[in-house]
Amino acid sequence: MTSYLLKRVLGAIVVMWAVATLVFFMLRAVPGDPLQAMLFDIGDPHAADVLRHKYGLDRPVYVQYALWMWNVAHGDLGASIYGSRVPVTQIIAEAFPRTMALALFAFVIAMAIAVPAGIVSAVRKNTPLDHGFTFLAFLGLSMPDFWLGIVLIIVFAVKLHWLPAIGFAPLSQGFGPWVEHLILPATAIGTAFSAILARMIRSSMLEVMKADFITVARSKGLVETRVVLKHAFRNALIPVITVVGIAFALLMAGAVVVENVFAIKGLGRVLIQGILNRDYPVVQGAILVVSAIFVFMNLVVDVLYTFIDPRIRLR
Amino acid sequence: MGKDPNDTDAAKRRTLEREIEEAKEFDPEDPLFGLTVEELSGPRLSRRAVLRLMAAAGALSALRFAPGLGDVAYAQGTAGGHLKAGWAGTGEIQTLDPAQINQVLEFQIASNVLSGLTHINPKLVAEGDLAETWTVTPDGLHYTFKLRQGVTFHNGDPFTADDVLYTFNRSKNPDLSIQSSVLAGVDNVVKVDDHTVRFDLKAPQASFLVKVLERSSGRAMAIVNKRAIEEMGASAYGLMPVGTGPFKVTAHQLGQGVELEKFADYYDPSRPKLDKVTITPIVEPEPLAAAIEAGDIQIIGGNPPAAELIDRFVANPDLVVSQIPGPGFQSLWLNPWKDPMRVPDFDKPFSELVKEKGFMVRLAIAKAFDRADLIKRALFGRGVPAFGSINPAMGYFYDDAIDGTSEQRFDVAAAQKLLADAGFPGGKGFPTMKLTITPAGRREGQIIADILKRNLGITVELDAKDFPVLIEEFDANNYDMLRVGSGGDYDPDDGLVDWMLTTSKFNGPKRDKATEAFGYFSDKEVDSLTAQERVEPDLAKRKALVQQANKITSDKVASAFLYHPLDILVYRKEIVYPAESRIPGLVDLDRVSFA
Repeated sequence: MTSYLLKRVLGAIVVMWAVATLVFFMLRAVPGDPLQAMLFDIGDPHAADVLRHKYGLDRPVYVQYALWMWNVAHGDLGASIYGSRVPVTQIIAEAFPRTMALALFAFVIAMAIAVPAGIVSAVRKNTPLDHGFTFLAFLGLSMPDFWLGIVLIIVFAVKLHWLPAIGFAPLSQGFGPWVEHLILPATAIGTAFSAILARMIRSSMLEVMKADFITVARSKGLVETRVVLKHAFRNALIPVITVVGIAFALLMAGAVVVENVFAIKGLGRVLIQGILNRDYPVVQGAILVVSAIFVFMNLVVDVLYTFIDPRIRLR
Repeated sequence: MGKDPNDTDAAKRRTLEREIEEAKEFDPEDPLFGLTVEELSGPRLSRRAVLRLMAAAGALSALRFAPGLGDVAYAQGTAGGHLKAGWAGTGEIQTLDPAQINQVLEFQIASNVLSGLTHINPKLVAEGDLAETWTVTPDGLHYTFKLRQGVTFHNGDPFTADDVLYTFNRSKNPDLSIQSSVLAGVDNVVKVDDHTVRFDLKAPQASFLVKVLERSSGRAMAIVNKRAIEEMGASAYGLMPVGTGPFKVTAHQLGQGVELEKFADYYDPSRPKLDKVTITPIVEPEPLAAAIEAGDIQIIGGNPPAAELIDRFVANPDLVVSQIPGPGFQSLWLNPWKDPMRVPDFDKPFSELVKEKGFMVRLAIAKAFDRADLIKRALFGRGVPAFGSINPAMGYFYDDAIDGTSEQRFDVAAAQKLLADAGFPGGKGFPTMKLTITPAGRREGQIIADILKRNLGITVELDAKDFPVLIEEFDANNYDMLRVGSGGDYDPDDGLVDWMLTTSKFNGPKRDKATEAFGYFSDKEVDSLTAQERVEPDLAKRKALVQQANKITSDKVASAFLYHPLDILVYRKEIVYPAESRIPGLVDLDRVSFA
């Protein structure tokens, strides 16, 4: 197991380096000069050149790359080109907890809906209950998360005044405000996520319920609840875990639309705003973190397999 | 029986007009603009002196729309309270360091945290802020300021002349500040004693007190704290600057918001009234609207709210919508180096130019726009038709008649005839044009494309580009048609010098100069008229020169001018923000209170 983990970590570093390198050169190949755009209204023709020289952006690209890699190896991701040149590590360190909180909350909501819905749908296959859950799942999948977010704001913030419309409260402000600010955005994200998961759990459960060991379990006289939850559900989780892992990683980096709707600056928004501004250091740093999240989640999924199915061994 | 308010307004307007006319009467050779040394000295300029200085600076026009020349109503609500503000159209407040600020939405906040030597009051009078009094020499070259004593920074440091010198040296260094060009007219700053400084100017500058020293528009001289910058570093200082202003920054998480708290030791104990202000950047229009409707935010600052929301806000009895003309123009730029709009030489009389096919096409496009219809559809009626870069907020210089005299005035039959004469009857054979827009401008782009299709039979495809790419293509002349415009234009030079000269900073600076003699427009007469108006001290003459140059740029289609936007402020009814306190572009929170 240890050597497996070591191999995976080394592999992860190679993947992250490859992604970071690709992004570094692609960014510079994309048209759009950040300094020209930033100083468009200033009107000082030399200001952009002064800053370009100061930030080293007038050096050959390979020199910029070598310097960046050297700095990254020393834990320095650089600083934003815009405004007061805030360090990228600070920007990411501030955004990461927000994204993590949002993703976790959405995940909890999604699982709370998807697991019972998926199991009941599978066990009560082709009954009105199954059709009802299927309909709700398609509804959840069909609603764009930003639209659902806006509807939730209008209903729960504007009309009912139950929850705040926008913003994020860190835990340091108390658990209550933290949860209050997360409920609506997490529901907006978690709904579509739960629909996917419910469908996955249903189909996986249906496969497993046909297996011989389920018949054996029933013939042993086990109660149906135990057959379903202990034997069927646990075995149905293997493909679900794979999807959950990837979906959670996507959630970490891709909740940008909902982040915009609820004015939460998470990792996704850092990345998108960096790309729109051509803020090279921010994009490079954020991509590095996002790729690390994907690699880590894949690793977590692989390790989880061994706990769910002891027959799987990692080498 | 009460007095008819209309009579009062008319009387005030007559008085104002008389004062403005009087303000323009001075000897242009006089370095003090007809004022005495006493009149030019502080702590507070007289109304007459301010009007005269503004006349000399060409800024009198702004008075037409500026509040404060009638009765001034300061915030009258109760003290205390926590104001929650939404800053529209932005994902983050990138910096509050005056040396790095390049957006209005940033200096709107910084102006509440940092002080200048002067600040405009609601009457647009440059009052002493950190300067208590000042004198000026008869040649108008030396301003000596007595600084306010007993003022402290938010970190407890005393404010002295050294802080003025430190700020000046930092701001004029292009490595440390992007505002160095603002100080180009200042030769030197001398510390006379701990609480006295002298500014030596290279030449008399009527707008000096406002344009250079004022804390928001002049941001180069918004006073910063040396110790805080050295201890915090420039990056951290940019997020949480330490100043002497009415509010101090207590928290700033990039993208999540800024928190301000009342500075208890502010030199004016009567201000601010609010205890705390939270500013949240909100990118999307719908959540912004929901937030103010739900009461999660109580005022909208930053970029103007999306036009489609304004009717909704107006209809909401809980909200106040304040609308005044904005200082800017928006244009459709037509590349003169691309067929069939090609005009490589504008230096001809209009009568000759109009015989050229490329020019006929340009004029046909410009004439095909019913600006009122465009404004109604794209801006929900909130804009003023544009026929030049000189905007209505410039009042005195604005040509009220240009909508009737410009060759660009709407005439669809004439536009169709021009296009037919150019060889494209009904748009037949006209190549498909690409219109470069930002993603946010897609809706307006579709309306422009629809108008050109409907009125001229021209097909326009939208080409959405991120702002940095759009600017790069504009600068390099790499477009067919492109939508971009200007804001913050208070002086004719902001329109003519910045945009309409052959050497203007936006006029294709990155183009291939070997094959393209200019970017989008070049006319020797406009260059000459603009060179004259820049130095013309006689207001009436300057106005004539400005309007003449503006008319040529309009007639010769430097661009298809579309509209001048409005400046719109929205807040909830429980907020007291007297309309008379409002200066276009600024959100002075020390004048805001709860009802």
